[in-house]
Amino acid sequence: MKKGKIAMTITIGIACFALVTVMMMQFKVVNETDITAIEDMQESELKTQLANWKTRYEEIDAQYQEVAQRIEEYKNDEESNNEASRLVQEELEQTNTLLGLTDVHGEGIVITLKSGEDGAAISADDLLVIVNALKFAGAEAISINDERIVNTTDIVYISAGSFIKVNGQRILEPYVIKVIGNQSHMESAVTGTGGKVEELQTLGHTVTIEKDNDITIGKYNGEIETKYIE
Amino acid sequence: MTKKRTISIILGIMCFALTFGIFVQVRTIRSTNSSIGQNQEANELRDEILKYKERYDNRFKELEEAEKELEKEREEATKNNSELEQAQQKITEGNKITGMTEVTGPGVTITLTDGKGIATSTLNPSQVIVHDLDVLSVVNELINAGAEAISINDQRWVLTTAISCRGNTIDINGERIGAPFVIKAIGLPEYLAGLERVGGYLELMRGDGVGVTLEKSNSITIPKYSGVINFEYLQNVEER
Repeated sequence: MKKGKIAMTITIGIACFALVTVMMMQFKVVNETDITAIEDMQESELKTQLANWKTRYEEIDAQYQEVAQRIEEYKNDEESNNEASRLVQEELEQTNTLLGLTDVHGEGIVITLKSGEDGAAISADDLLVIVNALKFAGAEAISINDERIVNTTDIVYISAGSFIKVNGQRILEPYVIKVIGNQSHMESAVTGTGGKVEELQTLGHTVTIEKDNDITIGKYNGEIETKYIE
Repeated sequence: MTKKRTISIILGIMCFALTFGIFVQVRTIRSTNSSIGQNQEANELRDEILKYKERYDNRFKELEEAEKELEKEREEATKNNSELEQAQQKITEGNKITGMTEVTGPGVTITLTDGKGIATSTLNPSQVIVHDLDVLSVVNELINAGAEAISINDQRWVLTTAISCRGNTIDINGERIGAPFVIKAIGLPEYLAGLERVGGYLELMRGDGVGVTLEKSNSITIPKYSGVINFEYLQNVEER
């Protein structure tokens, strides 16, 4: 009787031990599996990153080829003033386009915003967020009430007088945002669930979006001058 | 007899638990094996990315050199013609403003760090973290204070720069950056330091528990834009 009990206890003890060991191993593997799950997530991320760096390399490479070619052109045509003039004018035009100093046109959308009767009006931050979303979606030129958005454009609220200033110029409602870029990208940048348009509409503001195959956006009217950069 | 039965039942349950444990174990290991295979693929992807990054870095350096050479050639070609010389100066000046060349000058450095007291703070945890809108607002205020060039973690602020939130990091100029955010701006330091004003955005963020510092400096260097601005949909209106 006693012998059988001891044998039984030992058997159960061994079984318990085995069970616990297996469980421990199990936990360890599960823990490691969690890490590999993150790695799995990273893999699709890695693919996006790779595509991103490929594009960036190709862009910078194309730019390098262009600059190299231009150097050659300058070198070859040093004697001829006409050729130099053409090259300089071409470069100046490119620079001016980047500065927003040229009138531009192209396909895009027009967003019109009007504050609702009740509650807070559309804010400078709202406009800032919309402009940022459009840029992120690849906007090539933007204006708000014909004020061209350049890289030194600020959009601020002036509490004394309660109005918004863009480029230091006062703008009044309705706010008309013109943007040149891929139409569907521009539209989906601001619409959709959780988008800025939905948010503004929920707050009672009126938002209309129109596609236009040829929008003209005027040049920046202010002076661009620098005092501090060298 | 009943004792034996009880023991048998206990053993039976144990055996069942053990089998179940082993079964789960085997399945997990099987899926782990497949993800080890995927790891290799991920490593290959990482290698590819590094390769392209290196190629990009090298080309970028070459581009910087080439642009300097181009400027010299342009100066050379225009020095005998005052009209062309003026155009040449406009190009050089314009490249500084658009972010196509590196610039230096006096200004300020603003550093934004995520708040520390996340776990213990009674504040809303999302409040103490730096958000995309925070960075956007600081840039907007710097421009308003007369900043002529701005960078965020060495990413130059250019015409097409947007700031987008991605979990704990933000995307800017196609690059992913995380806190702390170091925003450099060139302009009159006294004006730029005006962002510290009472009721200003910096004070607002401090109130939320975000770490904010502003330092004036006589010489700040802001790098050239790391990408290329290409227009696909936009055309200049022909002058008539």
